[in-house]
Order: sequence, then C-alpha cells, then structure tokens
Amino acid sequence: MFNNYGASYQEQRMQQLMEQKQMKDFMRMFSNLVGRCFDDCVDDFTSNKLNEREISCANRCTLKNMKFNERVGQRFAEESAKMMEDQAKMAR
Amino acid sequence: MFGGVFGGGSQKPAQPAAPTGMPGMGQMQADPNAQLAAAEQEMEMVTDMFARLNDLCYKKCLIQRYNDEELTKAESVCADRCVAKFFQINREVSDKLAKYSQANQ
Repeated sequence: MFNNYGASYQEQRMQQLMEQKQMKDFMRMFSNLVGRCFDDCVDDFTSNKLNEREISCANRCTLKNMKFNERVGQRFAEESAKMMEDQAKMAR
Repeated sequence: MFGGVFGGGSQKPAQPAAPTGMPGMGQMQADPNAQLAAAEQEMEMVTDMFARLNDLCYKKCLIQRYNDEELTKAESVCADRCVAKFFQINREVSDKLAKYSQANQ
C-alpha cells in the first residue's frame, strides 16, 4: 500500500516518528529527573513546604544532571559513530 | 540525548547517531513499509540504550549530594569512562552471544 507514495512520504514519516520519539524521550527524562532530585534532596517532612536548602539542592540537582546528560550524550554519539564505522569495516 | 551530533544548544533532546546494532540489517528491506518499521525499531533500541546508559552512569558516577551545580572533574572523567566501558561491554556481550547462538544451531 505504501509503494504508491514517493520518497518524500518516507521522509515525512521518519520526521514525524523522530519528533514523536524526541517528545517522548524528553518527557521521560523530565520525569526521571524529578524523581531523582526529589529522592536526593527531600527528606525532611516536618513541613509541607520546601525549605531553602531543598530548593537550592533541587536547582543544583537539575543543572548537574543536565550537564551530566549532555556529556554522556556527547560520548554516546562518539562511541556510536565508532561502532558504525567498525561495522561498516567488517561488512566490506 | 544532547551534545555533539545535532547541536548541543537546544533543550529538547536530539537523537544521537543511530548505531546499526544488528548485523546484516543493511540491504534487506526493499519494501518501504518494512524499512520504516525497521528504522522505528532501531530508533527505539537506541533511545532505550541511551536511557539505560544515562541511568547506569548516573548511579556509578554522580554520588555526591549536589554540593555544586557544575560537574566536578572526577564526575566528568567518570562519565567518559563509563560510556566507553558500556560500549565495550555491549561488544563483548554481543560477540559472545553470537558465538553461543552459532554453536547451538
């Protein structure tokens, strides 16, 4: 059925898929981040409001995790490229 | 999901380069429908791998309780090595698995 559509449909579909994936990943990352920062920063339940220490901990937590994520992402991209190269070499 | 490949500036995560984890997936699909499905599967695998990697390296490298918002040198270096070793493990396990599957044909 899809054979009637040209390459541009393929591209569009791929684009759509990628965007959906990115959104989903972003949501997942956000959710994990909230969980982590809550887990690491909040352990005082004498009040139902965050105290200053917890707030600044949460801010630091967010930034630190984002920077860590970036770094891991960079290395991941490098290693993936290396892996693809190795596989291409093997396939020859 | 951030960094090098698609430009590190944006907040929205960008896809890293997708490794072809499965050997022999190259020229098989002439059918575009199957191609799309295969590409989708691969994307799924890559993002899953990245999420897992992130989580594992976080557990192994970010141990302090956020004294500072910058990554320390130790944490940065740990992250680099963590990713490198993860991929090596990936290779080891897939090689071993391939040999095992072949032996048990």
